Amino acid sequence: MLAQQLLNGLVVGGVYALFALGFTLVFGIHHLMNLAHGAVFMTGAFVALYTVLAGMPLWLGFVFAILACGLLSILIEVTAFRRLRKSGEAEFGAIISTLGAELIIVTFAQIVSGSDVLRFPFETFPVEIFEFAGLRVTLLQLFMLVSSLLLMLILTYYLYRTPLGTRIRSVSGNERASVLSGVNPNIIYYQTFFLSGALAGAAGVLIGLSFNSIQFAMGEPFLLRGFVVVVLGGMGSIPGAMVAGLLLGMLQTLTAAYLPAGLTDAIIFSLLFVILLVRPYGLFGKETAGAMRAER
Amino acid sequence: MSNFFTVYHHLFDVFLIGSGYALSQWVVMRAGVFSVATAGLASIGAYCAAILTTKLGWPHPLSILAGTLLGALTGLLLSVPLARLRGVFQAIATLAFVQIVVAIGLFSDSLTGGAIGLNAIPILIGTKENLLALLCTIYVMLAISATRVGRAFEAIRQDEAVASSLGVSVTFHQSLAFGLSGAIAGLFGGLEAFQTFTLFPNTYGFGLIVAALSYVVLGGRRSVAGPIVGTAILLILPEVSRPLADYRNALYGVIMMLVIAFMPRGIVDTGLLYFRRRRLAAKAAMESQQ
Repeated sequence: MLAQQLLNGLVVGGVYALFALGFTLVFGIHHLMNLAHGAVFMTGAFVALYTVLAGMPLWLGFVFAILACGLLSILIEVTAFRRLRKSGEAEFGAIISTLGAELIIVTFAQIVSGSDVLRFPFETFPVEIFEFAGLRVTLLQLFMLVSSLLLMLILTYYLYRTPLGTRIRSVSGNERASVLSGVNPNIIYYQTFFLSGALAGAAGVLIGLSFNSIQFAMGEPFLLRGFVVVVLGGMGSIPGAMVAGLLLGMLQTLTAAYLPAGLTDAIIFSLLFVILLVRPYGLFGKETAGAMRAER
Repeated sequence: MSNFFTVYHHLFDVFLIGSGYALSQWVVMRAGVFSVATAGLASIGAYCAAILTTKLGWPHPLSILAGTLLGALTGLLLSVPLARLRGVFQAIATLAFVQIVVAIGLFSDSLTGGAIGLNAIPILIGTKENLLALLCTIYVMLAISATRVGRAFEAIRQDEAVASSLGVSVTFHQSLAFGLSGAIAGLFGGLEAFQTFTLFPNTYGFGLIVAALSYVVLGGRRSVAGPIVGTAILLILPEVSRPLADYRNALYGVIMMLVIAFMPRGIVDTGLLYFRRRRLAAKAAMESQQ
């Protein structure tokens, strides 16, 4: 029973990690919070759903979702961030303008879907159940776990083993110095926001498939849990977000299984509050992550 | 005119309560704290007042007073741990606080009614009381702005290091701002409880955070008039143009993005600055002529 719950938690946690990676990527590299990330996630689920409803195969929906969310994220960068970055008050301003972007996207989705809860047609993803060592795993769960791990690996490879990744990390370290050595920062912004949006879109499709209930407000709880993952792992830390995502997934399934219903949220957000007070730079973040910074 | 008033009566009440929440959000931001705790504090005030009256039979003015005090106390308590954090991290911690309040409201259904809501709250508060509460709050805020405390808030908001080097205690003043914010949120939460009949924990969740923030950002973060003008614009705009009502949230979103990009000080503060500059320019022109 416990092993089964841990396994279920691992699967959900993988998707949390995927979602939070995009969030922490933008924060770690540009020190900006993108609160529209939940809306991008929701868009991913919608794009895949409408692709499938239009009679196209699911894998195509997955690809469309990733591309659409990447482009949407770039659009958010251009409209919500670009002007603010030059003003110097980006930290506060970004929160407001991305909240605005979130409201716009969510309202649009609400109108498109008519506020309904939408579902993938039956057997969009083949239902198959495997059993080994007393554990039950569905094919979908395996697919979720494998694809989240795969996407995380690709991201890590891209950031740490390719010249493009080196450029991204140099902008994160010191934007001016990297501009002097010939890096065009706008291209870097496009890349990080595309990656961030693509990861959110993939997470949206996976969650849409697994819970099979897609509606315009589905991004909000994920955005709020994304905060927990990002803070627990350390703001901007990529390995931190992966580990923290998996931990949060397991914590959530365990509290839901063994404690009275309805306590899960209280526990998760109390955890967030306590981490912020005790260790605001998280498990893997550096102490200089900015939590104690006096300047504003 | 009286016909106009009966039609827009409800909207006016919503505006008064919304202005109260906006002022609660404004007072912390004025002291340089990026807190979004207003929604949670309002929830505490509303539930405290409603529970005292419906379950213990307290008279409603006393319940509202208790809600106000509990809000203030929660704000003060919250400020102790939050003094360690800055900027975005303060925002996330207070966001967690709001979510905890919502989760507890949903969980402890024997006390709060849970997701079904706390029902059968008598309707005892009308426009008169709302207006009185808002005017008193505005008066207190104006009075504070004119004192040493108000100037200390301003100094901390502009530059914390300079403020503390001048002997202004950052921790003390930010705690004070939290307490004030809690009191205002608790007061208007209590007032709202006695005019809605039912309370739901999710009323005081993420949506209220966004609303209170957008009122203040649109109006302006410096002058007292800012949050009130912001609330008025954001609430009245969807009403005067009915076709826009479906897109209310998208409209909020567009306004938030445009204002923060092109008018980051907000409408009132930008306007005040414009007139001040013009007056100074006129004065300078006069002097150069002489």
